[in-house]
Amino acid sequence: MEKLKDALNFSDFSKAERIGLIIFSVFLLTFPWIGAGSFTTTVMIQFLLFSLFGMGWNTIGGYGGQVELGKAQYVGIGSYTVALMMVWWKVPFWVSMPIGILIAVGYSFIIGYPLFRLKGHYFAIATICTSLVLKDIFDNWNLVGAAKGIELPIHDHPDFLYMQFKSDTYYYYFIMALFYIGLFYMNWFRKSKLGYQLRMIKDDENAAESLGIDIRWCKIKAYSIASAFVAVGGGFMAVYNLYIDPASTMELSLSIKIALMAMLGGAASLWGPIIGAAFLVPLDRFLGSWLGGQKGLTGIDFMIYAGLIMIVSAYQPRGIWGIIEQFRKRGH
Amino acid sequence: MSFLTVENIVKDFGGLVANNNISFAIEEGEIIGLIGPNGAGKTTLFNCIVGYHRPDSGKVTFREKDITGFKPFETNRAGIGRTFQIMKVTTGMTVLENVMVGSFCRTNDRNTARGEALHVLGDLALDAVKDYYINELPIAIQRKVGLARALATKPALLMLDEVASGLNPTEIEEVVELLRRLNSAKKITLFLIEHIMEMVMKVSQRVIVLDYGEKIAEGLPADIVKNENVIKAYLGEKYAQGL
Amino acid sequence: MLIADALLQGILMGLLFALVSLGLTVIFGVMDIVNFAHGEFLMLGMYSVYWANFFFHIDPLIALPVSAVVGALLGLASYYWFIKYLLRGPAIAQLFGTFGLMLFLQYFAMFLFSADYRMIDKGLLVGKSLSVGPFIFDWTKLAAGILSLVAFAVVYYFLHKTKTGKALQATSLNKEAASYMGIRTDRMNAIAWAIGGGTVGMAGGLLVNFYYAYPMVGILFVMIAFACVALGGFGSIKGVFFAGLLVGILEMIFPVFGHLIGSDFLGPHFKFTVVYLAYFIIVVVRPQGLFGWKN
Repeated sequence: MEKLKDALNFSDFSKAERIGLIIFSVFLLTFPWIGAGSFTTTVMIQFLLFSLFGMGWNTIGGYGGQVELGKAQYVGIGSYTVALMMVWWKVPFWVSMPIGILIAVGYSFIIGYPLFRLKGHYFAIATICTSLVLKDIFDNWNLVGAAKGIELPIHDHPDFLYMQFKSDTYYYYFIMALFYIGLFYMNWFRKSKLGYQLRMIKDDENAAESLGIDIRWCKIKAYSIASAFVAVGGGFMAVYNLYIDPASTMELSLSIKIALMAMLGGAASLWGPIIGAAFLVPLDRFLGSWLGGQKGLTGIDFMIYAGLIMIVSAYQPRGIWGIIEQFRKRGH
Repeated sequence: MSFLTVENIVKDFGGLVANNNISFAIEEGEIIGLIGPNGAGKTTLFNCIVGYHRPDSGKVTFREKDITGFKPFETNRAGIGRTFQIMKVTTGMTVLENVMVGSFCRTNDRNTARGEALHVLGDLALDAVKDYYINELPIAIQRKVGLARALATKPALLMLDEVASGLNPTEIEEVVELLRRLNSAKKITLFLIEHIMEMVMKVSQRVIVLDYGEKIAEGLPADIVKNENVIKAYLGEKYAQGL
Repeated sequence: MLIADALLQGILMGLLFALVSLGLTVIFGVMDIVNFAHGEFLMLGMYSVYWANFFFHIDPLIALPVSAVVGALLGLASYYWFIKYLLRGPAIAQLFGTFGLMLFLQYFAMFLFSADYRMIDKGLLVGKSLSVGPFIFDWTKLAAGILSLVAFAVVYYFLHKTKTGKALQATSLNKEAASYMGIRTDRMNAIAWAIGGGTVGMAGGLLVNFYYAYPMVGILFVMIAFACVALGGFGSIKGVFFAGLLVGILEMIFPVFGHLIGSDFLGPHFKFTVVYLAYFIIVVVRPQGLFGWKN
């Protein structure tokens, strides 16, 4: 009960932020009536999905300060669990998704235990390695469709149990609900004991240890929470796209994107991942469809994208939110 | 059995013996100073007790429990707090949040942690700076924040690594008062590394002296300043002349 | 027989891997930065030789210096125009920064050269092979191995015998002490990047003789380089040489084992999985590297 109150309590934010959140929420709720074309709805779904991923990453990467670059493997675990259970045993989404989360969390403990002996660069590269190993395995494993991937059976009628709908609007509201659950959870998380401890670990590991914090265990916990978030998003991807393959769910670039959106928006801030996704997803999509489609301009979209990353990391490592806060401070 | 017993601690950094066969004991409620020239192995000894280093051999017992080879967070949970000589100047958390992390060591509830952190801050007269970030504070206050953070974990033994270095005489006076108060009012046993001789001699009830990784003397401050070995090793001509 | 052959081929690849990894370890040693864009330097080295061959019909072997120069200039440009600014920020920003550079160069190549796979089909050595007893070597791979060894030796000599090289080593051991001795850290960093870029660019020039150039080719080799550097001990030059050899042999011999025991699961698809796994296991079990050397 207390926790729920904490999760719904945004009172420590400034008035401007709270008003922003309300306007944003109204926009999200009414979006299907005001802005919807099929393209914009797709973009919005992607935006909410990546916000969710980014929020998850923010636990370990933002608050905990660990450069985690292997989140895609958990997207893979989440989506493959849902897809395979549906194809093999016709298990409804509502059963398979929690199982996917459990598998992701279990796997994250197994991997996290050795992983968090490492720090800094060693850790970052190791996370990439673990993700690539899993992708290699799925790429060559015939039972799960290997590199060809798997298609989910399409039902004739909309089916809530299997999360199959005719219109994207339903998917939109579903991912929006997940987004809010994630947001409220993160709002609680940042104020929780673990949240405080992680921030201390990020600031100063030695001091954190001297304050009775079991650093490795804290990191593992945060890592598994992040994995659970990402697995949920992965499960959604399976039922939304109705087709998954290792390239779309476990590619390194997906891991990077997840970390990047949170970083770019502002790591260790509640709004950071949302701002990052709001910025990058449309940029990615519109640049992609606008420039990528034109002959001879392939790659320009990603060059702009990469250029942004470079500029932000060189001039304002705290991301867009860092820039906003800087201005606000100056205003005082 | 003493409160803290250190027996035959040896720590060797690949040929460089930082601690050689050091033994001593601390009783509950004492204030003990640990002195020695630069590189004498004071901080290494601290780290061996607290768990940042694992001693090559030897044994550390705290409140009748063998804590040799414990990790720092385990020794903290057992009741040993410590501060650092160099406090990392961080920008991520406010003073209050820093101290709350300390309180979270003993509770899971945020409001309890906050209440206790505020209490500690009030006790150290730090209320006014609770919403500042560490990097915005002068060094004397930073040190006090480090102390507050450690105190919030409710230690029975507090190990202080040069709390007074870089402070001016008035500030040192304040710290001395504070330490005495902590010791008498809160019954916290204090074990401090200190460079500033005046301060150690004033506040400590007993002093241990290290030189080149060996314990060369132990005793009352008044006796230590007269000890020939100590004068030769550490106090040097300057202090000896002053006697 | 199969194993002996794989061993020899592995050594040749290993020498090349050592050269690929050399720059990464030098830069890491001097600056404590992991350069994710390292593989893209390799990729652009490959392209520079490819295009020299394509447009000007310069033999890939003779065009080799071009790739080294391109790599070195790229290293210098990256350092002065970008990496320098990253140094002010936290480590996480440095990681993302070089990551951004990697993406940028990848898509820059994609934009300029398209995503096509390109390989050199004519040249002095291309397609020719040398048979020694029962073993058959591709001349291109032989040249790659031998020239890599030569390049590695030259850099090793430079680092250990010349004044600048020694200054670089000193910086790598202790930045602060080195700067007190009058060594300019900024210049050392730039030299490290030039060496890093130059060696890996040259490795690319060698590689393109027998491997496709495409914009994303870097990621595979940067992962191999990471594994080698971890294996050799981050920052160790001697270490990375032997680690390169080991990874080369591992990569060649692994599929052979799979073939011998008739297992699909040890097939060639997984030869790089082994590299990733090797990295993971090494850094977890022995973070100081297999040999524990630090010059």
